Amino acid sequence: MNDVKTSTPVARRDILKTIGLTATVGAGAAILSKPASAAVTTAKPQFGMLIDLRRCIGCHACSVSCKAEFDVPLGATRSWVEYIEKGDYPNVSRSFLPRLCNHCSEPSCVDVCPTDATWKRKADGVVVVDPDICIGCKYCLQACPYDARFINPVTGAADKCDFCLHRTIKGLEPSCVNACMGGARIFGDINDPSSEISKRIAHEPVSVLRQEQGTEPNVYYIAADHSDENIAKSRGRYVRVDTHRRQQERR
Amino acid sequence: MAEEILWGLPVIGYLFLAGVGAGALTVSASVLLRGGGGGFAGQHFEIARYGAFLAPLPLVVGCLLLILELGSFEAGHWFKWINLYKTINLSPMSIGTWLLTGFIGISILYAYTFLPKTPGLGKNKDQLRRLLAWVSVPLGISTAVYTGVLLGAMPARPFWNSPVLAMLFLVSALSTGVAVILLFRAIFPPRKAEEPHKPMVAEYFQKRDQSAYLLTASDLMLVGFEMLVIFLFIMYAHLSVGAVKGSISVILFGGEMSVLFWFGVVIVGLLAPALIELYYVIPKLLNHQPFDAPLIIEIVVPIAVLIGGFMLRYVVVMAGQITGPIGI
Repeated sequence: MNDVKTSTPVARRDILKTIGLTATVGAGAAILSKPASAAVTTAKPQFGMLIDLRRCIGCHACSVSCKAEFDVPLGATRSWVEYIEKGDYPNVSRSFLPRLCNHCSEPSCVDVCPTDATWKRKADGVVVVDPDICIGCKYCLQACPYDARFINPVTGAADKCDFCLHRTIKGLEPSCVNACMGGARIFGDINDPSSEISKRIAHEPVSVLRQEQGTEPNVYYIAADHSDENIAKSRGRYVRVDTHRRQQERR
Repeated sequence: MAEEILWGLPVIGYLFLAGVGAGALTVSASVLLRGGGGGFAGQHFEIARYGAFLAPLPLVVGCLLLILELGSFEAGHWFKWINLYKTINLSPMSIGTWLLTGFIGISILYAYTFLPKTPGLGKNKDQLRRLLAWVSVPLGISTAVYTGVLLGAMPARPFWNSPVLAMLFLVSALSTGVAVILLFRAIFPPRKAEEPHKPMVAEYFQKRDQSAYLLTASDLMLVGFEMLVIFLFIMYAHLSVGAVKGSISVILFGGEMSVLFWFGVVIVGLLAPALIELYYVIPKLLNHQPFDAPLIIEIVVPIAVLIGGFMLRYVVVMAGQITGPIGI
């Protein structure tokens, strides 16, 4: 654990540094693990997800469990799995890309909501929608670069993944994480340096989707295939994306 | 592809109607302040009156169309849009809601001051009208600009996310505003009895032609300016890279919407009206000959400009939704 990265008060860190310098390597490490736990209480929690695509088999268990958990109306998807097919025989591959709301740190959907019906929770950084306030103007659907939102035909309001808020507030993990048979999904507070997800993000080569949009997404991927149909087409290469949702094409 | 169109004809119709109404109000109020003020003696008072009467209705109809497109309305919550009035934030739609509300209120009051009989206003009618006109100019411009900002506020929609789009919508709003005044003036000519001075017939027609010339020449200028803004809109997008360049290609040659754009917007809405207007404006502008456009021209040209204005909204709204960020 690196003491420089934690946000403990300066005075205490200085003391700890001095101790660390004078102590032996093993003893120093033991003492320095303390400021990390102090940082947990001060840093703002941000729930996030890490999806290890080396363990994903494209079984759609996450999509199905999500449908069951929320009774998502027919034709709508909070969570879905895209298949990416590319190459020319015999050099071909198929990879999977599970998708869900990225619960961005800079959510463009929140910026455009005219009724304050959608916001980013301070308690856990989850972007939520209140269907009782939302009027269904579809502005957030337009603004989301990940196409994560849809209009729920039953409520008439915008709807999307909320990291299974009703489960996480009770300390359970989201339904898709629970259902993932490959153990590809890791859920937790990415601002807590001692959580498994932040350790994995620190150790593994991770990527996010559409980083150039500046939304600072909080869903990370390991070994994601960022191949895009339209870019491939303009280069004369074959890439086919099967979205497995009503929207046949990514947008 | 059809599922991806979240904002369809109601929103397109709204953007067009809001532009027409905002343009008509802005033109009316600025003409009143510049050349038509001081009661019925103003030279172009007639233009101001047409504009004032034409402004509120498109906005009201447009707002009703917007409500039709709401997901909550479709799900049976017919009055949930009231929630828009429970807050104000920096969302362009929230600001727009308050702008539109103010616009509808002010424009109806402004139109009321132009009625022959205005019970309840008393003797300060002219003063009130001028005051409302001073409010109406910025209000009309803001409403027209807001329709562009509404679309332009989203980086996830590269076709719309251009600072020039709001400018384009503003110029288009003004030109369609002038066109709608020109059109209604041609179809429903002012009754002479409403003229308090009862001018001589020749004098009346001279004045009428002056107004027609002013409107036609203004429309020509606005259409010309619109061509420039469209050129900038396309050029800067085309010279960009990635998603922006990719999105503009749908209206360029070979793109999915190129025919609608080049025929519907550029030829029907801009080039053809501009050339016809130029033909009638040039003699007066350069040689001080009397302006005599036949009535049919005063009807056909504004209709073409209005079709162009609608097609512009159609192409922009659709092209913005069939394109998006590239890469994942």
